[in-house]
Amino acid sequence: MNAAPSRWRRLAGLLVQHASWVWPGAGPWAEAMRHELDYIEDDGAALRWAMGGLLASYRTRLVDLLCLSTPAAFRYVGVGSVLVLAIGSALMGQASGQPLRPVFDETVCNLPGVSPDIAPRLHCGTIRVPRNYDDPAEGQFKLAVVVVKSAQQPALPDPVVYISGGPGSPLTIYADQQARTLYAAGRDVILVDQRGTGRSEPKLCPDLDRAFLDAAVAVATDPSGDPLAKRRAVYAACRAEALAHGFDLKDFGTRVTVADFEWVRRALGIDRWNVYGISYGTTVAMTLVALHPDTVRAAVLDSLYPPDPRPMFSANVADALAAFFRYCSGDQACAAGYPDLAATYRETLSGLAGAPLVVTVPPEVHVPDDRVSLTSTLFEVLVGQLIYYPSAYPSLPRLIVSVHDRDTRGLGKVLASAAMAAEANRSTYIAVECRDRPHYRDPLSPGASLLDRLQLYGFCNDWSKIGPAPLVPIRTAVPTLVLAGEFDPVTRPSQSRHVAATIGPKARWVEFPRMGHNVSTPRASNGRAFSPCGAKIAADFIDNPAQSLDTSCADRGALIRFLPK
Amino acid sequence: MPRKPNISRQTRALLATFLDRSQIWRHGYDLSKETGLRSGTLYPLLMRLSEQGLLEARWEEAARPGLPPRHVYRLTARGLALAHEQEREAVLGDRAGAIA
Repeated sequence: MNAAPSRWRRLAGLLVQHASWVWPGAGPWAEAMRHELDYIEDDGAALRWAMGGLLASYRTRLVDLLCLSTPAAFRYVGVGSVLVLAIGSALMGQASGQPLRPVFDETVCNLPGVSPDIAPRLHCGTIRVPRNYDDPAEGQFKLAVVVVKSAQQPALPDPVVYISGGPGSPLTIYADQQARTLYAAGRDVILVDQRGTGRSEPKLCPDLDRAFLDAAVAVATDPSGDPLAKRRAVYAACRAEALAHGFDLKDFGTRVTVADFEWVRRALGIDRWNVYGISYGTTVAMTLVALHPDTVRAAVLDSLYPPDPRPMFSANVADALAAFFRYCSGDQACAAGYPDLAATYRETLSGLAGAPLVVTVPPEVHVPDDRVSLTSTLFEVLVGQLIYYPSAYPSLPRLIVSVHDRDTRGLGKVLASAAMAAEANRSTYIAVECRDRPHYRDPLSPGASLLDRLQLYGFCNDWSKIGPAPLVPIRTAVPTLVLAGEFDPVTRPSQSRHVAATIGPKARWVEFPRMGHNVSTPRASNGRAFSPCGAKIAADFIDNPAQSLDTSCADRGALIRFLPK
Repeated sequence: MPRKPNISRQTRALLATFLDRSQIWRHGYDLSKETGLRSGTLYPLLMRLSEQGLLEARWEEAARPGLPPRHVYRLTARGLALAHEQEREAVLGDRAGAIA
């Protein structure tokens, strides 16, 4: 049964009818505009459609109006004024009382680094989402969205929505790199800056970006201080700033983000899409599959970030490093150049604990005198960062031995690049994680590793209440591909394999030797995947999720070419 | 003889959109969404292209009962030629920009 048209729909009908009266020469065209109204689902869009027609009709008739007799001119102007008033009041009413609808407002693309061959394929815009899906009166956030049209037209149905990590990592600014990837050959790719990230609203603590970096640098430069106290002060200031801006911290978390993606899907008129999550994006993707399985054709989960409970970060880093050291001892060049690297690493840490190294860093790090005190804990953090990325593996043994031998040459640049690499929005990271993860409410033991002390343990009780949990799509019917890197310090392969088994028989798990945290996804620097094999397997899977996958290239990936001492 | 069309930015965008799926009859609202052109800009353009013999239009029966028929559009052979010509000029323009 058809519902009765809303008053906005009726007003839109009246406006278009009036347009055809003002614009008699338009004939079937005006009729066509009127008929289209019935195919526009959203009332706001229908009203905008009708107003466009009305304005066109008056514009077209402007010359005629100048030639009309005075009474006729008054008649047109009078009717027009009444309509303008009606439209004005209607729009005001819509702003205050009408529910928000999912609509993609296309805008000019204003993205950095987009090359001319890619630019015509990008459709940029915004989609307004409710801040709180249970209470529309709270207002809206505007999300930045880019639709990357496939180079192959017509595109295949079921586009790919790529979900970035963090939480807090920007995405739409990498539209150019995303447009060059192979994982969605023949399909459009949807890029969304999640709420609080990239070019989307809100900016939770715009005035504290620098303070977050300064707090991290303070840990590096003042090993005797209490980094927790410094960080706690910055987080408290961020929370106060966010509340002062009128943000409600319960409007964050994976479940809200998933609702946003569902809203975006409807705004873009997509029936079904393929979801492709990287790192924290896999948490969003899994929850999306669990809550909206009918809208997902296939899911790719690259470098899983599983829900709680999960091991402490320090334990995962230690396990990843142990795997890396084992690999080194089995590699002829590495074993010859760096015998017993694990022992060398342990000695390096104890050496730094006794006597930190002073390292000169580039001015862009902004530390007093451009000097950093390399403590054992800071070195642990640095190595824990480097093990994320395969591009760091060839030089990692040499770095460890250099520091062991107290040689600081080149170390400043490495420290600077690690410090500058943190581009995720830190406040959004806290806002999402504190809603999602119960274990960040647990206090740490006094002797906990700095790797764990730099996480959010013990902070979240002061930030917000826990929110609804992220989900694992247990026994889902959605074909799911899980990609795991051998040296991934975030989720060890055994853990992601366990999650894949929990998802059930529709999940396929593939491990990639000599890879870290990011297997198939494009690098920001050049758009190439860390593992071309991973990208190919993901592309084959999306192409036909039901087929049996040839994953043999995973074992044939390039060996690490370790740099000599 | 119909006058040469005014190739504004909006017209170029519209022609490019038609070119993307040149064999398919397109609806007004879909064209509006794809090009970002509002109805008040889109329909005068469609009318002008039609007057110039670059666009053909017909009514299409509704897919579901209870809905009105829809006006649908696609480029004529001349329209397609113009659209291709525009595309080529755009590519040459891109190249010139890259060299500069």
